[in-house]
Amino acid sequence: MSNLTKILIVLLTISVIFLCGIVVTYVANADNYKQKYAQLNSERDSLEKDKESLNNQLKEKIQQKDDLEKSLNGQLATLKTRADDLQAKINTVERERAELLERVNGWASITKDFQATTEKQTQLLTTAQEDLKQLKAEEIKLGKELEQTSAALVEKTAIIEAAETEKRRLIEEKADLQNQLDNTMQAGGKAASAGTPVTQEKGHALPAKTTAAAINLKGLISEVDVKNSLATISIGSADGVKEGMKFHVTRGNEFVCDVLIVDVDTEKAVGVLELVQAATGGPKVGDNAATNL
Amino acid sequence: MSPEVQIRSTKPAAMSNLYTALLAISFGVVLATAAFVAVKCYFIYETLFKIP
Repeated sequence: MSNLTKILIVLLTISVIFLCGIVVTYVANADNYKQKYAQLNSERDSLEKDKESLNNQLKEKIQQKDDLEKSLNGQLATLKTRADDLQAKINTVERERAELLERVNGWASITKDFQATTEKQTQLLTTAQEDLKQLKAEEIKLGKELEQTSAALVEKTAIIEAAETEKRRLIEEKADLQNQLDNTMQAGGKAASAGTPVTQEKGHALPAKTTAAAINLKGLISEVDVKNSLATISIGSADGVKEGMKFHVTRGNEFVCDVLIVDVDTEKAVGVLELVQAATGGPKVGDNAATNL
Repeated sequence: MSPEVQIRSTKPAAMSNLYTALLAISFGVVLATAAFVAVKCYFIYETLFKIP
């Protein structure tokens, strides 16, 4: 074996080892492109999905934007209308404000006049209050006098009541005496006329003078009940007829009988027949009846 | 002693076992490198000669 062959073998061995080392190092450190490809592919798929979802969201947002734009346009139109209305109202209110300012100015002048009047009225009120105080003082004085007068009045009233009681008692006694006198005088066809009392002393009534006066009532026999001895005359209490009166019945110049009144009506009276003259045939309708012959 | 006589009388033998060993090492290194590359390629790309 020549030396050249030996040298070539050695160089071959060294180069083989060197190149193989390089290859092994390169292969050991080489990237896994398949794995990277799969990873990138999955990332691409996920990004495409994200893109689709973002596109959908974008469409939704665009739709929402359109809807919102429509609604805002509607609201804008409404607001413009309201703004026009409000502008018209503002104009109206400004006119009213101007009118109210004029009225306020008028009321201010009126208020000034009213204040002046009020001051005058206040002065008058003060004067009136002073007068009122004086009147109240006078009222108090008058009230005291009134109380005194009332007390005196009560005393006088008690005295008057006592006098009234006495007066009533005397009137009752007078009526009783008048009745007794009438009964006494009616039998004779007379009645006592009312006298005029004369009071000589204060608080004491004097007895009235009594004078006999003819009653002079005249009527006609209107009904005869011979069986019961009763007769009815054509006058009653309206003409002054009273129970107990006695009427004389005549026919022409003849005395027929007497009628003693026992029942009195307003326009007639019924009495009992007395002293009937048999020669005349008894009383008949149309005969005269009078208290005095 | 002549060279022809020597060739005729002895078997051919290596001139030196050292260089034979060097050749064997080189062959082994190349073979191991090829095997390593093949295994690596198979596990990564699941094939040896196709382009995935």
